Amino acid sequence: MRISSKIFRTMVESIQEINRKYKKPQIQMTLFVKICLMALRVYLILLIGVMIFKFVTML
Amino acid sequence: MNLFVRFFYTFRRWSKALKMFFILAGPGIIVMVADNDAGGITTYTVTGAKYGFSLLWFLILLGPVAYYVQEMTVRLGAVTKRGHAEAIFCAFGAFWGWFSILDLILTDWLTMITEFIGMTAALSIFHIPPWITVVGCCLIMVGMIMSGRYWTWEKIALFFCLINLIYIPCVFMVNPSVKDIALNCIPNLPPGGFTNELFFLLMANIGTTIAPWMLFFQQSSVVDKGMQVKDIKFGKIDTAIGSFLTVAVAMCLIIVTGKLLYGTEVGSAAEAAIRLMPMNQYIGSFLAIGLFDAGLLGAICISLATSWAFGEVFGWSHSLNNKIREAPWFYAYYFLVLAFAGIIVLIPGAPLVLITLFVQICATTLLPAALVFLILLLNDEKTMGKYKNTLYENIVNIGIVAVIIILSTLYGISAIFPNIFN
Repeated sequence: MRISSKIFRTMVESIQEINRKYKKPQIQMTLFVKICLMALRVYLILLIGVMIFKFVTML
Repeated sequence: MNLFVRFFYTFRRWSKALKMFFILAGPGIIVMVADNDAGGITTYTVTGAKYGFSLLWFLILLGPVAYYVQEMTVRLGAVTKRGHAEAIFCAFGAFWGWFSILDLILTDWLTMITEFIGMTAALSIFHIPPWITVVGCCLIMVGMIMSGRYWTWEKIALFFCLINLIYIPCVFMVNPSVKDIALNCIPNLPPGGFTNELFFLLMANIGTTIAPWMLFFQQSSVVDKGMQVKDIKFGKIDTAIGSFLTVAVAMCLIIVTGKLLYGTEVGSAAEAAIRLMPMNQYIGSFLAIGLFDAGLLGAICISLATSWAFGEVFGWSHSLNNKIREAPWFYAYYFLVLAFAGIIVLIPGAPLVLITLFVQICATTLLPAALVFLILLLNDEKTMGKYKNTLYENIVNIGIVAVIIILSTLYGISAIFPNIFN
């Protein structure tokens, strides 16, 4: 039990450290980059929406 | 005399370059040949049985597509010395980084299961029980990395790539019409016209040619091998040879199944091998051996792609040049992926068809993101310096990526809603 909680805590700390390390994107945020990332967000939201729709209608 | 001296120095320069190429070749050939994994072999078998030689031209088009996409990972890896996962985290921040890596884990684990399905189905033709196949494959894959040297791993992987070429002699055994092959290398619409089934098969062929794990694998492999900026040209040649081999293998398989099974309904490569046995025992056996090898090669690369990605992000030692005690987490994750996939295949009544379907859907969410990140990174002057994409490369690569995104999205949607394009 102790070992698993220690592993879990270590994992959480590692993830927090990664989040801190990569908090700020290093790429030059040009207009093209911003548009691409926005388009990607919209695309993924739509795709996930389609999947959820399929899952709900299957139930 | 002068001519002799010039000839001598030219020969020496070329032999040195060739020697250098043989040292640096590997990642491109391995990733491209492994691209013809168990799922790929099934797709080509079904394509050949359904449409004969009619779609050979389409595969020829896919060769350059695969080359242009993978070549970008070589440049990115050699310049940044970072794997694809780490490059995404650095450039786009934690949100996109976590999205990519979690999607990669899910896609790779599920794809690993399909590789094991292919391998067990192939060896069951030779009456080998699935559990022996699974245990044997796990032992081979663990054995490959035990040496703690990237070089050893790579040479064993290249040996498996060589076995993948088993389909080439099969073509000479079926003696196809050269005229028919040549005619079908020119774009044409197969008999029956443009149907939903044809559309699905074309998209499946694209799906097997460009997979998300390939981007992660080749970039990490380039970094682990220690390729430098000056080695990029060799990496490009390596990738070009690999893309030629992958197309050659795919075409051979279509020619064999198109010649012997044309007009029959075939559901998988294993089923095709069973049907071919009474016609020609050698070809049936070669198809089964090739299917097993394809699954094994795919599993080797996919499990490593994920382990490398995890190692890069979590900061663990993540090189095949490390011994197990030097990179315990990297190897632990590698073993975990193997064990998970193997066990799932052995569970009686596991939803294997659903898993195969889910792979396509997950890949649809990851592939566009990975490709867009690749294009953006290759255009970032701060990251790439003088090695960033030229105008010509951008036109070609953005065009390819746009087409792949549209088609893979349609493929994913048609997997979710099978009757949508009827």
